[in-house]
Amino acid sequence: MAWNAPRSFPRAILHIDGDSFFASCEVAKNPQLRGKPVITGQERGIVSSMTYEARALGVRRAMSLHEIKRKFPEVIILPSDYETYSIFSHRMYEIVRRYTPVVEEYSIDECFADLTGLRRTLRMPYPRIVASIKRDLEQELGMTFSIGLSATKVLAKLGSKWQKPAGLTLIPLSDTRKYLETTPIGKIWGIGPNTSAYLQKFGIQTAYDFTIRSEAWVSEKLSKPGYELWKELNGESVLAVDGESRETYQSISKTKTFTPPSRSRTAIFSQLSKNIENACLKARRWNLSSSHIFFFLKTQEFKYHGCEIKLPHPTNVPQDMLRAVKDHYLSVFRSGVEYRATGITLMHLQDADTRQLDLFGAVRKSEGLQHVFTSVDALCERFGKHAIFLGSSFYAMTHAGHSGTRGEHAERTDALFRGENMRQRIGIPYLGEVA
Amino acid sequence: MENYRESLTRFYEKHHRMPSFSELMKLWSYKTKSAVNYRLEQLIDAGIVRKEGGHLIPDRMAGVPLLGLVEAGFPSPAEEELLDVMSFDDYLTPNKESTYILKVKGDSMIDAGIQEGDMVIVERRATYKPGQIVVASVDNEYTMKYLRRSTSFDKTQDRSLTTGKKEGEYYLEPANNKYQPIYPKESFRIEAVVTAVVRKY
Repeated sequence: MAWNAPRSFPRAILHIDGDSFFASCEVAKNPQLRGKPVITGQERGIVSSMTYEARALGVRRAMSLHEIKRKFPEVIILPSDYETYSIFSHRMYEIVRRYTPVVEEYSIDECFADLTGLRRTLRMPYPRIVASIKRDLEQELGMTFSIGLSATKVLAKLGSKWQKPAGLTLIPLSDTRKYLETTPIGKIWGIGPNTSAYLQKFGIQTAYDFTIRSEAWVSEKLSKPGYELWKELNGESVLAVDGESRETYQSISKTKTFTPPSRSRTAIFSQLSKNIENACLKARRWNLSSSHIFFFLKTQEFKYHGCEIKLPHPTNVPQDMLRAVKDHYLSVFRSGVEYRATGITLMHLQDADTRQLDLFGAVRKSEGLQHVFTSVDALCERFGKHAIFLGSSFYAMTHAGHSGTRGEHAERTDALFRGENMRQRIGIPYLGEVA
Repeated sequence: MENYRESLTRFYEKHHRMPSFSELMKLWSYKTKSAVNYRLEQLIDAGIVRKEGGHLIPDRMAGVPLLGLVEAGFPSPAEEELLDVMSFDDYLTPNKESTYILKVKGDSMIDAGIQEGDMVIVERRATYKPGQIVVASVDNEYTMKYLRRSTSFDKTQDRSLTTGKKEGEYYLEPANNKYQPIYPKESFRIEAVVTAVVRKY
């Protein structure tokens, strides 16, 4: 146990979490939304993010908008504007990078950073550095962040959750016990309901109960991730902050919900085709190929029907995947069932430059297509995403994904400046009109 | 000879510079540089190109406009000099993370040269100073005006009694006589400072 180590922060690891991030981005853009219950996710039909004012009313994530309108008519419902959210997210990483190069882009609204050893260069003790980062973030982005600082990632994450919103929680090693004693084991990052239930069978209720088990006990009863978690909770940093700026992906997923739900075999396939094209686009951008793909159709009852396919060779060309998916699509699709979304996941990603030839020349053929897509990507770079797409995606590309009020898109696409177009806009958040 | 001249001209028109020896090898499908040199000597003799300070310079190449060749043998300025230029991005948005854009509505800042439909680039900062054009939210609406601070002249103090304005108090002043200054009451917050106006025709 490292808690009684001589120093409070043998490592200084920071976790930053944007408070109700998507909704906060909307409020940061539009002062009329300040202090009001605001939710995003209009195009999905469910709540994807909500302000604390909305939460106070009783709004919860994934509630249906139908329910929201009935129960909380005062709530302001907005379509998601992922373009703006991504810009804010990128800005969050960049602001933290002013202080340390080791920033892990954990998700769109979260990041880890390692401040160890920077006290001298920045001429500030750790708490002051953290306060300074928080001030920059909140002042420049116009929203609040919750921040935790401790000696390990797991403890830092506990810190950022401790006080929300706009919290700043420092957990020096000497104080760790106090925090862990009041934290149920299931609230620890990385412990899901299954592990939590399993540990409770051994009488472990709080995170502290877990940390006082012996190393031998933990390594016998749990797998490696559980063991690492135990070490992290005990103040020994084993999970490094991965400062490589998202150089690669474990997997790439593209999922899109459409409304109204559809029973049409061809329309749904077109939606899937569009997702496959988008996933391949991302794979090519990162120079990755996939050899295993998984596709699914989601029913109106939120059930998933899907199947995993092993491809004859790794690829990032949509035609290769569509050929494979086509064979299985009919066995997954059931006529008469209403579907609301499709999705694709590319797994087993590898460097696209390492290729192995196969016996039947399929790789060579695919290589030809690869050249075609080099040009396609160049055209899309110049004329905007989806300047060129496959015929099989035609329906999905030409029909709005959502009809009725859910078809409303973010304000930004309606307020173009001279020289901007629907596909390409200046990469700076737009705050609206000013008189 | 004419073919060689033409290929050279085409290269020059495309790249705005003369080819290197290795590029000439490719251009003329030669296997050695000495062959290139041999052919070049002929072109030099014919007065089509010149060599100065080891650099190839166009002389009488058809269709090549000769502009700004002041001093013979002056090294190509391209690389070194261009290191110190900035992009429009860097110029207009030096502080990327705190920069936002808005679209102008109305003519309240017309005398400051800001028109309806213009894009204003703003920065969120910690402090704002009188004299700056700022974006403030008044009653939860954005408004763009000069930030002013009332001075302590006796005259203005008199007037301040009538307007309810106190000395040293901030207020917002439009750049158009048709509009009145705004003396903020409770909900008033400066959101950002205008750093540039962009208008595209």
